[in-house]
Amino acid sequence: MSLTNAPEVDQPEEPTNRPAPSYRIREWLSRPYARHFLVLFIIFTVVIMPAAWLVLHFMNQSGAPASAIMTDIETTIFVFTFVSAPLMAVALAILMYSLLGRDWGGRVHGEEPPMQESPAIRTNSLGVILWITATSLLAGFLVIWGLVELASITAGSYGSVPTNQQPSAVKPIDINVTGAQWVWNFQYPDQQGLQSDTLVVPNNTPLYFNVTSVDVIHSFWVVELGIKIDANPGAVTNIGVTPNKLGTFNIRCAELCGMHHAYMQTKIQVVSQADFDNWVRVMGGAKTS
Amino acid sequence: MSVMTRDIHEQAAVPQPTQHGKPGGFLRHTNIFTGVITGLVLAIITYAIGSKLVPWGTQNATFQQVGYQALIAATYVAWVIGFMAGIGAFAGPIRWVLGHDLTHADAEYMAGKGQGKFRYWKYTTDHKVVGIQYLIMTLVLFGLGGFLAMLIRTELGITWAEVFTPNFYNSMIGTHGIVMIIAMIIVISGPLGNFIMPLMIGARDMAFPRLNALSFWLLFAAVPPLVSNLLLGGIRDGWTVYEPLGSQSPVGMIGYQICIIVFAFSTGIASVNLITTAFTMRARGMSWNRVPIFVVGILSAAIMGLVWFPMFQYSQILALSDRMLATSFFNPLMGGSVWLYENLFWLLGHPEVYVVIIPGTAALIELMTVFLRKPLFSYKMAIAGFVGVTGISSIVWVHHMYMTGWAPSAGYPFMLSTELISIPFGFLVLVMLGTMWRGKPWTRLPMMAVYAVIWNKIIGGITGVYLSDVPVDQYMHGSMFVVAHFHFMLMGAGLFAAIGAIAYWFPKMTGRMLNERIASIGFWVAFFAFQLTFMSMFVAGLQGMPRRVLQFDNAFNVSNWLSTIGAYCIGIGMVIFLFAVITSWRNGKPAPANPWGAKTLEWQTSTPVPLENFPVLPVVTSDPYGYGVPDPYDSVEKKMAEADQPVGAGAR
Amino acid sequence: MTHNVDERPALVAKGNGATRLIGTLITVAIAIIVVGGSAWLLHVNQPQPGAKVAQPAGTMKTPQGDLPHYSLDLSIYPSNNTDPACNGGTQSGEAIPGPVTGFDQIIAQSCPPFYWDSSTLQLPAHSAITVTVHQYDGSTQVNANYFANVHGTIDGKATYNGEAKTGINPADVAHTFTIHQYPQAGQPYFFVSVPMLAQPSTAKPAANSNYPAPIDVVFTFVTGDPGSYVWNCEDPCGNAYQGFGGVMMQRGWMAGTVEVV
Repeated sequence: MSLTNAPEVDQPEEPTNRPAPSYRIREWLSRPYARHFLVLFIIFTVVIMPAAWLVLHFMNQSGAPASAIMTDIETTIFVFTFVSAPLMAVALAILMYSLLGRDWGGRVHGEEPPMQESPAIRTNSLGVILWITATSLLAGFLVIWGLVELASITAGSYGSVPTNQQPSAVKPIDINVTGAQWVWNFQYPDQQGLQSDTLVVPNNTPLYFNVTSVDVIHSFWVVELGIKIDANPGAVTNIGVTPNKLGTFNIRCAELCGMHHAYMQTKIQVVSQADFDNWVRVMGGAKTS
Repeated sequence: MSVMTRDIHEQAAVPQPTQHGKPGGFLRHTNIFTGVITGLVLAIITYAIGSKLVPWGTQNATFQQVGYQALIAATYVAWVIGFMAGIGAFAGPIRWVLGHDLTHADAEYMAGKGQGKFRYWKYTTDHKVVGIQYLIMTLVLFGLGGFLAMLIRTELGITWAEVFTPNFYNSMIGTHGIVMIIAMIIVISGPLGNFIMPLMIGARDMAFPRLNALSFWLLFAAVPPLVSNLLLGGIRDGWTVYEPLGSQSPVGMIGYQICIIVFAFSTGIASVNLITTAFTMRARGMSWNRVPIFVVGILSAAIMGLVWFPMFQYSQILALSDRMLATSFFNPLMGGSVWLYENLFWLLGHPEVYVVIIPGTAALIELMTVFLRKPLFSYKMAIAGFVGVTGISSIVWVHHMYMTGWAPSAGYPFMLSTELISIPFGFLVLVMLGTMWRGKPWTRLPMMAVYAVIWNKIIGGITGVYLSDVPVDQYMHGSMFVVAHFHFMLMGAGLFAAIGAIAYWFPKMTGRMLNERIASIGFWVAFFAFQLTFMSMFVAGLQGMPRRVLQFDNAFNVSNWLSTIGAYCIGIGMVIFLFAVITSWRNGKPAPANPWGAKTLEWQTSTPVPLENFPVLPVVTSDPYGYGVPDPYDSVEKKMAEADQPVGAGAR
Repeated sequence: MTHNVDERPALVAKGNGATRLIGTLITVAIAIIVVGGSAWLLHVNQPQPGAKVAQPAGTMKTPQGDLPHYSLDLSIYPSNNTDPACNGGTQSGEAIPGPVTGFDQIIAQSCPPFYWDSSTLQLPAHSAITVTVHQYDGSTQVNANYFANVHGTIDGKATYNGEAKTGINPADVAHTFTIHQYPQAGQPYFFVSVPMLAQPSTAKPAANSNYPAPIDVVFTFVTGDPGSYVWNCEDPCGNAYQGFGGVMMQRGWMAGTVEVV
């Protein structure tokens, strides 16, 4: 014992035996339900993700994708499924654990109200903050992806800015699409005003549709090329696309327009440039009287 | 008489109105039958006189047969006025004009005192009676909508032939849609908002009892014009009855338009009633942080309905005007705009889906606490969720119009707002999951509905994420994918939630216990059949099947067969559930006052509920979520908190 | 005082499990009968006119080779001539009542034009079909000029009272005959559209008839594999918006089906 007031017991400047921050996580993980929940969460995430492929499988059954826009759409669906899988998995894991798990006490069935045994948790700041952060990040990702994609598709569709979706310096083929009750008819102003009830277009050439209606609202949907725009009476709406696959695809009306709405369908044939020129020549006899 | 000895009651004596005639006056003689007869008689007289006055061949500039249209419209309006007169709705205003105020005995008569079962057939103001009336009406509407759904699926299942003509098919899908939408709007706010909500806040009745009766009977008057459209050529348009296609429909369309105009009044009145009740009639001590969350949900839906329903009403008034007066609001050839119609419609159309889903979610959140015996997880987040959804629901409507070409650059802000609304909606899911976390479920039917609904919400939510993206919508809009998505949300998360809520409050409303074995069988048959039906419908949409078509490419045959089989099974499941409801109602086991051991106020009064609800109005001292035991892991928390302290103070 | 408005008798839940099961099954059976019965009743109460079968008429030389040749005879009347309100006087000549099934009664009151004698057509596959339409009606301008031209016929032309043309003035179109697609995968694409020349506004009724002398429109097209198609008129001869309401949307009048068998 000296008179210098030196402490007898070591007084550390910082507490050294405060448990490490990871102790909280390790403690939470030591609870059996936490580990089981995490396992379920990972399993569900992994199980949900292949749904993306399944969705695309159904979309491609009739020959899609036949344009860069459609490919873009499919990529978006794919990515959205993947990033949404974790949040869905959390919900499913909790549902399943609540019904089938043991560590929360298991299910009770009976006529009388059960005894109160659940923990009276009114809130959990960490859980709430984690959830808000995760959903906001997810929503943010979806929004930003969507906005960027919309901008790029719009640029490609309306030809306002040359993008990598549009071969440069190729003038789009203008096609006037008129929806009447209950037939689509097309006019190619640059091909001597050629009129047709089916679309024949050359591959890898940008198309620019001027769509209108002479009566009620229709919707011009070129299914496998992934474009759709309403045909409104009294207005002309526009959309463009560049097909990149040969074949015959479907055009359907996607807005109820009366009795034969279901029968308002026609075909689009994407052919080689030579075949297209041939067709134009053969059809060149059609003219207005 | 000196001032000192005057009795306080004499000082405060208020002159009472004089009793004119027996209590109830004119309303003693009116009931649903007098209403229907008066309505029919007035309609027939109007038609008879009108058809003599109006030349049939009159046509306007667009060859619309104006005379006949006006005649039918006048007939429908005559039905509505006649019915309301016959049921006694005008008695109140007439008494007021004559200066015959209601006495206490009159008010008690109008609330159904002393009338036994007959009060359900009359213009009764007791909120419990109106709740039951709404419940019956909802069941009838669901039955009609479901019947049409079976016919629709029959047409789609028989892929090798047309079963019905295209016009009738288009009318059926339109009528199915609007009947189901009306039924879903009222399914929780009507029966439960009226019966349960005043009990839950400790009130004796709603703020405006006579308006309560009025809102129900207006709904009742609005339904026959709607249903009659099938007999007058049909609406031949989807439930959205887009103009100008709607103006090509025969006169049945006028029935639709009159129905919506009247229904909008009914909804507005009911919303005002619910909002005022929730704001002004809560029991003493029930501050806003002690209000049961169900009330908040009903309040949100009522606010959204009140603000936005007029838009739908205007769209129908303008469409009716186009049809009868040759105005050109929606006729683009004469300067109108088809996009005007779409905007007006979807300004309601979007908040309306939240009006459908929010009350169900609120009811499930409310009952989860009872069946898990846990407090509500993060009450504040639940409030934030409801407020957020109510607010943002006003600014997302254009996502129904991405493909119209109306405003291509509007796709950006509305995609943003549509994604944003998923965040407050996520708060509600958080509350549900958090309440479920570490809770021990009492697996009765109301609780099992929660599991079913969360599953359906997950599927509906992810598919909604797809649709909210404009480029993806370029493929999916107008296809069966959209139909499957909204059925998952409105029916999967809306209707199944309503079934759970009705099963929960069934003992209080009917005084009987629901036969859970049969009801559960019906519920689960319907649930699994629902998955089959609408998952196949997603597939059909992905394959490229447009919506509102009765014949389609062979590629979609298999999906449609599966959907039709599933739909028939849904029908069977719902019929089984209905059987359980009806038989339990008639002779089920009598229910005790609080079979679930719940803490909310409606369970603290006896069953059946007396006319004045509570012998003594309750005083509330805490929120109704005082369930559960202290968290055993809390002691671990304590140890860790102690370990955070500097050395010397703790034991470690 | 608590006042129980409706006293409930204290009944014990009636019926055991078997009663409940039978009750459930009976209820489901009733539901099935109601739905099925209604579907059947509605189905049979939406009749479309009986099928009109094309008549054999030898063979014809076509660019696809020699094909069996069939003919079909149709008429378009401006209105029902058995109803005095529609024919403006006494009925003279052959009685042409028009389609009168079901809801059509209300349509018939506005005296609209119609195809006669059936809108349900049956054509043989892989054949040349010559259709003759006797046209009695006046004109309304087509909404889309596309339909003023002839499409899908064997030589791109149709004959109007003997004169072959590829199209007519859009203001002179009375009706069109337009066959188009039924959405079955694998069935051949088929599109035929022929405008019907209108009676001039100065046309007078022929002797012993309420209608003027018909304009005969004759055209020939070739059918492919069997399939189901629909046809409708594309000229707005109905009422309501753009003239496409009323009869334009009614099978039996200005729309119908074509079955290639």
